[in-house]
Amino acid sequence: MQNRVISRQDLAGFVDDLIKTKSAGDVIGIKAQGNKFNFGPLKSATELRLDYDISLLPPKKYFFPQQETVLKYEVEPAFKVEPVVEERMLCIIGVHPFDIRALQLFDAVYGGNNPDPNYFLKRNNATIIGVDCLNPIPKSFAASMGTNTVEEGFDLMLTDLGGDWFVTVGSNRGDSMMKKYGKGREATNVDLEKRNKVRRDAAKKYKTSLKMKPDEIPALLDANWESPVFKERSATCFSCGSCVMVCPTCVCFDVQDDPALNLKGGERYRRWDACMLPGFAAVASGENFREHKEQRFRHRMYRKGKYLLERYKYLGCVGCGRCGTSCLADIALPADTYNLLKEGK
Amino acid sequence: MKPRVAFFDFTGCEGCQLETLNFNLEVVDLINAVDIVEFREISSDHSDNYDIAFIEGSITTDRDIARLQDIRNKAKVLVALGACACTGGVNSLKNFYSMEENLKVVYGESAKYYKTIPTRPAHAVVPVEFFLHGCPPNRNEIIRLIKCVVAGKKFEQCQNPVCVECKLAENVCAFERGEFCLGPVTRGGCNAVCITAGRKCWGCRSLVDEPNINSQKDLLAKYGLTVNDVLKQFRLFNGTLEVAKQ
Repeated sequence: MQNRVISRQDLAGFVDDLIKTKSAGDVIGIKAQGNKFNFGPLKSATELRLDYDISLLPPKKYFFPQQETVLKYEVEPAFKVEPVVEERMLCIIGVHPFDIRALQLFDAVYGGNNPDPNYFLKRNNATIIGVDCLNPIPKSFAASMGTNTVEEGFDLMLTDLGGDWFVTVGSNRGDSMMKKYGKGREATNVDLEKRNKVRRDAAKKYKTSLKMKPDEIPALLDANWESPVFKERSATCFSCGSCVMVCPTCVCFDVQDDPALNLKGGERYRRWDACMLPGFAAVASGENFREHKEQRFRHRMYRKGKYLLERYKYLGCVGCGRCGTSCLADIALPADTYNLLKEGK
Repeated sequence: MKPRVAFFDFTGCEGCQLETLNFNLEVVDLINAVDIVEFREISSDHSDNYDIAFIEGSITTDRDIARLQDIRNKAKVLVALGACACTGGVNSLKNFYSMEENLKVVYGESAKYYKTIPTRPAHAVVPVEFFLHGCPPNRNEIIRLIKCVVAGKKFEQCQNPVCVECKLAENVCAFERGEFCLGPVTRGGCNAVCITAGRKCWGCRSLVDEPNINSQKDLLAKYGLTVNDVLKQFRLFNGTLEVAKQ
């Protein structure tokens, strides 16, 4: 696999080619939405905003949609159940490294011994074209989490060298896409050093930092189950769920049946659900295992900083900063809570 | 046997009933699933024999009280349909003035011919089994309630604030657009339709079960609203609730 350098014009040509030929499936890209950015279907390379700071929702929505029908059933005239699995071939352009890391966590959670077909029939067919984040939002602490750059999890990774684009090739699929397109030139060691400098400079732009190494978080949490920080921080929590709805590593969903009005059949769907919402841990008897907001707040901090790591080998937080940005009470950012615990407050 | 369903309107604009009819093709399934025996917007039929009564509008006269009690006695299930029936809705604005003042403003010289009482929601007068919040209520939620009643399933109101569906809809937060939004404390189930349309949430679906009102007031103040401005935000749809009175 050979990294390449291509001009801005050639990158646009490459993207337009993908859109026109659909050789990698439907093309999704990062685009402006009002004064924010979000992923959506791409009609032309001119819509692409590779200079973006953060997307409203993470790209996980293409593999794990907000709501998704998983089966249809009939009870009359005869009982019948049909799984509903949508297969889709997608090429997603402009995924930041921390969002790529989040997808790797998703792969681990939805894979394992019982892989989720609805997820993998979309995920396995997807081409991921990443872009290094040179313009981080103030709440992002990806540099402290080591997720501001990634070495795997993409087919191609773009880095803006100012004039040209450095293209890091991360897979055979990416390699053959670049070869087939044929424009640009092979990257030299000088180009590679330029790319690395751009990345080092970008790492300095992060305004929020974690005041410890990420792998210290589990032990910190172990020592602080009774800490007053959780209650103090959560006092202003709305339980509005914004933090967990925008999170790239939130993997949970609720399942509901929706019967047809004639009651002869219906469908079952799943929909994003998350632990900061009051009903999440409520069960049929009326018991709620995390009834109080401080319990939910603490659970989320443990989930992100300990539980997922222990089970899936990936930290449940990639430091993207979306939660902290969307939280109207300004309490959601895990780094803030971990730093407070570290300081012993 | 199909449940017999009746719709009754009290003080309101009847928009909730219109929304109930706004189902396109699903209305055919609806009338196959239930017998609509009274619904003045679609039929002049009248019946005193019904299982499910939908109450639209708020209670604003003594005559309303007697009529609602009569309906309650006849119905097995009573559903409050829409903001006016659930919380009093915009009609509760009059509760912040004296009844004499209201009559004078509305009827002028003829005020002496009318009587009015402070606005109250249906459940302040009679027990209510189900609430379909909203101005107007969400048509999918209306359908879901009917399905639950027909199938004998438990009907669960949306417990999440509007923010959840607003994030799912991929909206830019109304606060980021410089609006004062009640979404963080308002019961969802509306798919955040107002914010998606570029507006903000006025709280027409009433409050979630455990609203963090102090946080909401702090938030509105942080964005430059005075205490009075904050109360006005809550009073538009939630005037009968404690939150609007302080």
